[in-house]
Amino acid sequence: MRFRGPLFVFSLLLLTFFFATASSFAIPAFSRQYGTSCTTCHVDYPKLNDFGKAFKDAGFKFPKDDESFLKVPPVMLGAPAQKELWPHTVFPGTIPGLPPIGLRYNQFFQYTPASANNYNPGGSTAGPNVPRTDFESGLFSIFMAGNFGSDIAFWVDDDLSVSGANSNGGLGDGYLKFVNIGRVFKLPTDSLSLRVGQFELDLPFSQARSINISPWDIYTQANIGFSGSQNVNNVFALGDAAQGFEISGGHQYAGYHYSLAIVNQNTSGTSSGAPNVSSPGGFFSDSNYKDIYGRFSYRFNLEKDSASRHEVQAAGATGPRDHTSLALGTFFFKGRSVQRIDGDTGVLTAREPFYRFGGDFSFNYRTFNLFGLYMYGHDDDLLLNSGATGFTPGPAAKFNGGFLEADYLALPWVMTILRYDRVQSSADFLSQSGGVNYFSPVGSTRNRVTPGVQFLIHANIKAAFEYAIRPQQALVYDSNGKALNAFRTNTATGMLEFVY
Amino acid sequence: MKRTWIMVVAVVAMLSFTASAGTISGKVSGVTGESVVYVEAVAGKTFPAPTEKPVIDQKGLMFTPHIVAVEQGTTVEFLNSDKVAHNVFWPSVGGNKKFSKNLGTWPQGEKRAFKFDNPGAVPLLCNVHPEMGGYIVVSPTPYFAVTDKSGNYKIENVPDGSYSVTAWHEGAKNSSKPVTVAGEGKADFTLTK
Ligand SMILES: [Cu+2]
Repeated sequence: MRFRGPLFVFSLLLLTFFFATASSFAIPAFSRQYGTSCTTCHVDYPKLNDFGKAFKDAGFKFPKDDESFLKVPPVMLGAPAQKELWPHTVFPGTIPGLPPIGLRYNQFFQYTPASANNYNPGGSTAGPNVPRTDFESGLFSIFMAGNFGSDIAFWVDDDLSVSGANSNGGLGDGYLKFVNIGRVFKLPTDSLSLRVGQFELDLPFSQARSINISPWDIYTQANIGFSGSQNVNNVFALGDAAQGFEISGGHQYAGYHYSLAIVNQNTSGTSSGAPNVSSPGGFFSDSNYKDIYGRFSYRFNLEKDSASRHEVQAAGATGPRDHTSLALGTFFFKGRSVQRIDGDTGVLTAREPFYRFGGDFSFNYRTFNLFGLYMYGHDDDLLLNSGATGFTPGPAAKFNGGFLEADYLALPWVMTILRYDRVQSSADFLSQSGGVNYFSPVGSTRNRVTPGVQFLIHANIKAAFEYAIRPQQALVYDSNGKALNAFRTNTATGMLEFVY
Repeated sequence: MKRTWIMVVAVVAMLSFTASAGTISGKVSGVTGESVVYVEAVAGKTFPAPTEKPVIDQKGLMFTPHIVAVEQGTTVEFLNSDKVAHNVFWPSVGGNKKFSKNLGTWPQGEKRAFKFDNPGAVPLLCNVHPEMGGYIVVSPTPYFAVTDKSGNYKIENVPDGSYSVTAWHEGAKNSSKPVTVAGEGKADFTLTK
């Protein structure tokens, strides 16, 4: 595990941060097609309001009467009457009348207190030196999404550049979604849809559409066992993009919702250096085994007025608004993490089963939203046997944690945020206690309170600030157990972002 | 024969009526699109309450028509033709924030009415679709007109006399000028934003 130096961890977390915030996003393409503002679908972009959730569920269409809202008529790829000829013709579809493109750029400014560098004991420069202040370019991303007719929705987003360079850019989500495919089987409306491609798992709270500058720590938590006694090196994180397919049904804005995804086995646990050797190149996965993710949630809309309760948005005295609601959900992920190890008899492959399991809730009242998530992670551990001819079970590597967040839209253009993130990993703790600290200005010790505030300068331009407050840490203690060279890795981050 | 007589009498009556009333016409320039021109209140003169009830529709996330001119005291009906919920409110009437009003939200196909008793421009907004905008221009007199796209207007049936005439355009400063109507009056306006 010699790769787990501080610089490595630091860069890994930094990368995770950018990747995790990189996928899907608000789509000005829809603004253009429908001639409407971001706020039709977003509370504080990219967070969706109830209407935005219904728009997404419907396959990027207005839930009812979509055509009457389109300002740019779609281009016909076949006259509608061609349907009658099918299968003797290509089934007629449409493409958006304007190229459905949205763009996003953001940049950061970060401030870290001087004491953050105290983790380099005695002025040593063993670890990374963190500058007090730093200007950072963020993402430049392109988003393309819409509907091809016949309720086939598409989404592709790609980071053209990350951190001012193109080397880290990559595909976020790219998929086709066959909305309401259940009608083929005469199932109730919206009870079965199919999504195929690369996508963010159907997380209780989408990391891709999170308004936070830093991602929720639990979504970026990898499970890397305690060096020496646990051969667990699973860099899978719940917020990662997955390739495969997903069936889903129900709605995000009312009642039940479920999804079940079959995705590639997570093979990123392999490391290219000895004793591990890399997985075969050219494939996403190296076995027929597939990982599985499932989610079920139920949302209770609590409006007193029953007519309003069953609408996409509740009718308030001063206009439509999000429902007062309580949503409860549960999710699980089951997979295997692959490691290859040079044994005495050649390369041995360890496939370590792991699972993630959790629950979530979200309560909404007007523009106040309180939500949280708890997750437990468990990785089976396979250790090389004494003869290095195979594996024998070792102690499992476990972690748990989650977050609690309150969002309050104080004014239509001012969002206030208070969140608490916590990840408790014994392996992380053990791995760090003897060596360098698990440090990063953006990921850090996995225990923090993060107040934030965001201002929509225009509906598509946002200035966001957050301040991550972390407990005091130390690497060295004196004989009385008193911390020496204590430090905090508090971080203030400002972001300026625009979509167009 | 009898009918012909009635016709003749009617035509003569109309001619004599129009003889004492004229028109105000002209052009509003400096801006593009429709403007509204109206005759300001005439001291000591009242007008019968208007009976017409114009309808403003919310359709495809737009107020249609975009600009409606009405006489003071007119009841305007707001229709929602969309399968999404809207809301209609205005932050002021003639710049006076005391006359702000929120009509709320109502389902597709239904209407809600409001009587406009104060003169001036009423900016119509929807608080879920901030891009939606429309205007009602409440004229203090029954003498008003919406210009065509190139700014030409004609206000008919204005009794002979001296008036102050105001031109309004979305986002521009109002401009007023005195006009004397004796059969025909002319008033051109150049508005600036
Ligand atoms: Cu509206």
